[in-house]
Amino acid sequence: MSSLSSPRLRAWALSAPALLLVVLFLLVPVFSTLATTFGDPEGPLATYATFFNSRLRMRVLWRTMEVAVITTVISVFIGFLTAWVVSRAPGRLKSLLIIAAVFPLLTGVVVRSFAWLIILGKNGILNDTLLWIGVISEPVSMLYTEGSVIVAMVYLFVPLMILTLVGVLEGIPQDMTDAAASLGARPAAAFRQVVLPMAVPGLIVGSVLVFTGSFTSYATPQLLGGERQMMMGTFLYQNAMVRFDWVAASTVAAIMVVVTLTTVILMSRLARKLNPVAG
Amino acid sequence: MRNLASLSAIALIASAAAAQSETLTVSWWGYNGDKLDANIIQPFKEMCGCDVVFETGNNADRLGKLQARGGKGVDVIFLTDAYSQIGVEQGVFQKVDPAKIPNLENIYPVARDPQGGFGPAYTVGRIGIVYDSATVEPITSWSDLFRDDLGGMVSLPGITTTAGPMVVVQAGMVAGTDAYEDDAPAFELIEALKPQVVKNYNNGSEMVNLISTGEAQITMTQDFTLGSLKNAVPTMTWADLEDGDIAVLNTLNIPTGSENVDLAHEFINFVLSDEVQQKEAEQGVDAPINMNVELAPEQAAMWTYGQEAIDALNTMDYAKMNAHKSDWIDMWNEIFGM
Repeated sequence: MSSLSSPRLRAWALSAPALLLVVLFLLVPVFSTLATTFGDPEGPLATYATFFNSRLRMRVLWRTMEVAVITTVISVFIGFLTAWVVSRAPGRLKSLLIIAAVFPLLTGVVVRSFAWLIILGKNGILNDTLLWIGVISEPVSMLYTEGSVIVAMVYLFVPLMILTLVGVLEGIPQDMTDAAASLGARPAAAFRQVVLPMAVPGLIVGSVLVFTGSFTSYATPQLLGGERQMMMGTFLYQNAMVRFDWVAASTVAAIMVVVTLTTVILMSRLARKLNPVAG
Repeated sequence: MRNLASLSAIALIASAAAAQSETLTVSWWGYNGDKLDANIIQPFKEMCGCDVVFETGNNADRLGKLQARGGKGVDVIFLTDAYSQIGVEQGVFQKVDPAKIPNLENIYPVARDPQGGFGPAYTVGRIGIVYDSATVEPITSWSDLFRDDLGGMVSLPGITTTAGPMVVVQAGMVAGTDAYEDDAPAFELIEALKPQVVKNYNNGSEMVNLISTGEAQITMTQDFTLGSLKNAVPTMTWADLEDGDIAVLNTLNIPTGSENVDLAHEFINFVLSDEVQQKEAEQGVDAPINMNVELAPEQAAMWTYGQEAIDALNTMDYAKMNAHKSDWIDMWNEIFGM
């Protein structure tokens, strides 16, 4: 047992089971998947050349980026305002508001996407209401557009953003904004110079969660976008389960991994720039 | 990761099974589970004195898993012929021994050996056009699907569904060409149809949803969805096409890694038997392909029933279709996915 007496060894020994699990069941499968994409007889990068030279595939990649970025920006905006209201609410009301905000998370992604089919459909709630008011004379086609995918994605991911930000905003004491005001800062300036920098870590975490979540989503674009709004997730499924072309599917997966990692790294750098303390 | 999880689940099942007598593993969709259990599984268990376990899921998922396991872990697999043809080409099925399936002689010739020795079909379905007769002028031929008065009411089967590539084949036929030889005219027709398409569907439930919410009034689908469609919109009508519907055969195959080959043959023989085929047809589970099945007119109305009806169907050449599928997916995506 003397060998376990050194703290470093003990730390290794204690973390070994978890480490082993991660290596065996996460790293090995991921790397073996990525390895298959470099085995093309025409050269190690042939499958990537196929991807980047195809107008359709690039279109799918850009559309996915676009949807993920727009979803993230809208979620930041809505999530921040909601989280600010929630974090400044008195005790019991705060709990109620948090429950209301995360309530959608209690159902599955498919159910939540389906709800939008019922709301935005030709015979849906929104069309019926607009017809009844007389704003439109015949039903408008709102489904199966990029807009309908973004609406549903925002609805899916705003609760995550709220949850992330409430904790951070609660940690900003009222004294801080009071002090800024007493030193002559207008509310807008106090927000920009005091609240925002302190909220940056939460905003970054929330944005990374929302961006990666919407960039890799499958069910929502499949149900609300269909093949017209094909995204990387749906395209990956098509390659794997319809063409049975695992190499092409792995290539799509590899590109998704790279985009996601790059985003996370860029966001962390941005966080350090905006808030050196938090970084 | 799902594959890993299912692999370990199957390993568990396999090790548990080894402890008992013989266990037959059947892979199928999981629809109509109660009826299939009563009509096939329970009586078969009594007959063979063995145990039966299942793997369920859609065609692609189950075939993908079987491929990942190198053909092991399943004794009999139920697939639509478009997918079993892929399995045949991948080499994950073994040839069946007709001598061990005496009931073959009681089924329609078209179902006995659709894929060159790899197993029979146990039911026949048809793919055709359904439309809402309240809002759409009657559709009487495949060319009507490409009419220009269907504005924004069409939902085609997506290229990734069983029926998707058939749209290309039928479009070629309407254009007067063979899509396998030259697919350009077929895709020109499909591109011209694009403004009429509200959304293409990826599975049966999505299609029923499109019809029931009024997004679409015309679609191309397999006959087993007609009941749900009529429940949603009573005026949905199965088009009587002068150039005929398309035959879809559901096949039974024995994977290369089966450890109970004799039992698998026995099971296939049982599924083709007079009593199972009769019960399945009467209860609305599957259309019969056993020639000894006798149905009352109202029972027969829902199925492709009888030699004449079966002979009128068009059959697809899946070997050719699969050879073109990857290109067609790209061309289709170029039209609908840009």
